[in-house]
Amino acid sequence: MKRKLKLLIVTLGFSLSVLGTNSLVIGQNEGRTSSFVEKMIAQAQPRMVKIFGAGAGRVEGFATGFFVSKDGRIVTAQGVILDGRRVRVVTANGTSYEAAIIRRDRQKQVAVLKIEAETPDYFELSEKQIGEKGDWIVALSNAFKVADKEEPLSASLGIISLRTEMEARLTKRDVAYKGELVLIDAITSNPGAAGGAVVNPAGQLVGMIGKVINSSETNTRLNYAVPCSALFDVLLGQKTVAAAEPVVKPTEQADLGIVLFKFGGRSNPAYIDRVVRGSPAAKAKLRTDDMIVAISGQKIGSVKEYNNLVETLRPNEEILIIVKRGVEMVRARLTPRAKKK
Amino acid sequence: MHDLNRLLLLLAVIVGMGDLPPSCFAQGETAVVEARQDIADGPQVLSQEELFRAMALTSRAFRQAAEVVRPSLVTIESFGGVSAVQGRIGGIRKQGEGNTTGIMISPDGYVLTSTFNFIQQPAVITVITSDGKRRVATVMGRDDTRKLCLLKINGVADMPVPKMVSVEEMTVGQWVVSLGVGYGDTSPALSMGIISAKNRIGGRAIQTDANISPANYGGPLIDIEGRLLGICVPMNPQSQAIGAGVEWYDSGIGFAIPLAGSDELIGRLKKGERIRPAFLGIQSVPNPDGDGLFIKRVVQGTAADEHGLLVEDIILKLDGEPVNDLLKLRQMLNQFESGQEVELTVYRAKKNEEDAFQLKLGTPPKPKGEPEQLEPPKIR
Repeated sequence: MKRKLKLLIVTLGFSLSVLGTNSLVIGQNEGRTSSFVEKMIAQAQPRMVKIFGAGAGRVEGFATGFFVSKDGRIVTAQGVILDGRRVRVVTANGTSYEAAIIRRDRQKQVAVLKIEAETPDYFELSEKQIGEKGDWIVALSNAFKVADKEEPLSASLGIISLRTEMEARLTKRDVAYKGELVLIDAITSNPGAAGGAVVNPAGQLVGMIGKVINSSETNTRLNYAVPCSALFDVLLGQKTVAAAEPVVKPTEQADLGIVLFKFGGRSNPAYIDRVVRGSPAAKAKLRTDDMIVAISGQKIGSVKEYNNLVETLRPNEEILIIVKRGVEMVRARLTPRAKKK
Repeated sequence: MHDLNRLLLLLAVIVGMGDLPPSCFAQGETAVVEARQDIADGPQVLSQEELFRAMALTSRAFRQAAEVVRPSLVTIESFGGVSAVQGRIGGIRKQGEGNTTGIMISPDGYVLTSTFNFIQQPAVITVITSDGKRRVATVMGRDDTRKLCLLKINGVADMPVPKMVSVEEMTVGQWVVSLGVGYGDTSPALSMGIISAKNRIGGRAIQTDANISPANYGGPLIDIEGRLLGICVPMNPQSQAIGAGVEWYDSGIGFAIPLAGSDELIGRLKKGERIRPAFLGIQSVPNPDGDGLFIKRVVQGTAADEHGLLVEDIILKLDGEPVNDLLKLRQMLNQFESGQEVELTVYRAKKNEEDAFQLKLGTPPKPKGEPEQLEPPKIR
């Protein structure tokens, strides 16, 4: 019980610091109240840099970055900002350096810069997954260019919302980010925040704040970090999987023997109008008026989604199809045949 | 879980430093006294290691709370619907393509979610329960004043339902966690925050600073024990449009509809009722020559029109309470729903007399050429 009690009070102390109250002293530090979150921030600040480069249209010419090595390597977000003639880096003490671009990874949206200076303050990148859902995090960035010269960056507190693989992009023209993202509930989807650091209570780097992107699932802006392990790969120059290339269409098209209902104007569910006699769909006992719900684990929300998915299927490769029949869900396996030309 | 309660209670006590009501965190008075004693006895200086462990423990509390409610969390899929809603819905260009969130509220398969999730009027809706089974859902009633929608799945009998907390039990400042599966993962995304205020939007909603967005509209807002505080919905006190409130997504201003004690409401939704916002049907300005609201325009076919209100009449009181500005009138009307009666005291200009009478509130007129089911959001 004594032990538990201690823990309780410990938590108290922390929570207090989170709420920014100074009514209880937690650990004296040269006569000053010090809180845990304050420590997280203080430790990270000297490792952070402000980055200035090219702006284009509505894209700002400023971003954030952080040191990842003693010899002045900096990780930041890949973007238009690096396309100008020079990229300037301002360190925590206000010194300005010209930076060389060492690496740009368009798939992970990460870039590595280097300045000619040594620094004792840097994040040790890890190939491991740092942080799990619910963990506290502090996000540091120069969003909106609030901090100038030697002024410290803006910090905000939150938790890790979710670690998930997702596809996200801001506009249709953007290269979609593909891979695991660390979603956080601190708001970081702001201009200039890209390249900022997300750190955990142990002072470890959880990831790098990515540029502003929208989730196609919710059509809202995402607050997220590119996980530390992905940064590690880029820093080491490890080849990543080819960037979100368009799905290669199979040379031979697959045919299920399904004819869908056709309506106009609305985005319609994929209702089966007719099943071709002797076709794979007929063998799988699919019927008129069945509504296709999912194919091979992928939800089919509309006729369009069905057509897109069928294009990626290959003949003679078995698929699992789920249809709604009345109010029942019916599962069937079927093997597409080659489409006659 | 009990330890966590105590822990958070302690937290509450210390933040308030002694001035907290015993009802704080819905715990008994004894617990609060004990908590204060714990603080008095405890060490004042804590080591880094202790602080780190404490931080990890709070995170565990968030995760644990989420796990408690997770069996009642459902994923909602929509099929078909309007391909694109015209213009913008609040702050976003259009609704996302992903799944949405709901919560099981009865063992026999009633699911509550937000009307926002069906803004595109899907032809078919399915619900995936936490055991991974997918079932076709029927839309029952909807409450436009709370942005809630009731679904029913059949063939189930022992679905897990969350424990509910009444508004009286809630404390402004207490921890909350919002949950939603809208980001496409089967595991819900969490966001933590506090209750910012109670009795918002005509007393229907509680306000929170946890992130509320299309990723968790229809999902639960829970306390640190994993009990249901409310259903996350988009809301804006200035507008009743279906998409209103989305412009505040992830902004620190979020709303949830408490459910405890709303058996009557749920009963009406089960019967398929549609509850609409109250609408009076006048445009008015504060009376330049004294008290009340001076009527500038009466919309045809509305409650005001049917009760013979005319331009130049002056509204003096609503249910006996003086109304001198538009915000007050809107705030008061917000507490009602369409079909309910209010007592209106009006100065009738033509007759030069004061008149008090019962008025049955109507519904907002439908915009021309719009489908019956869907009032499009106000386009910004």
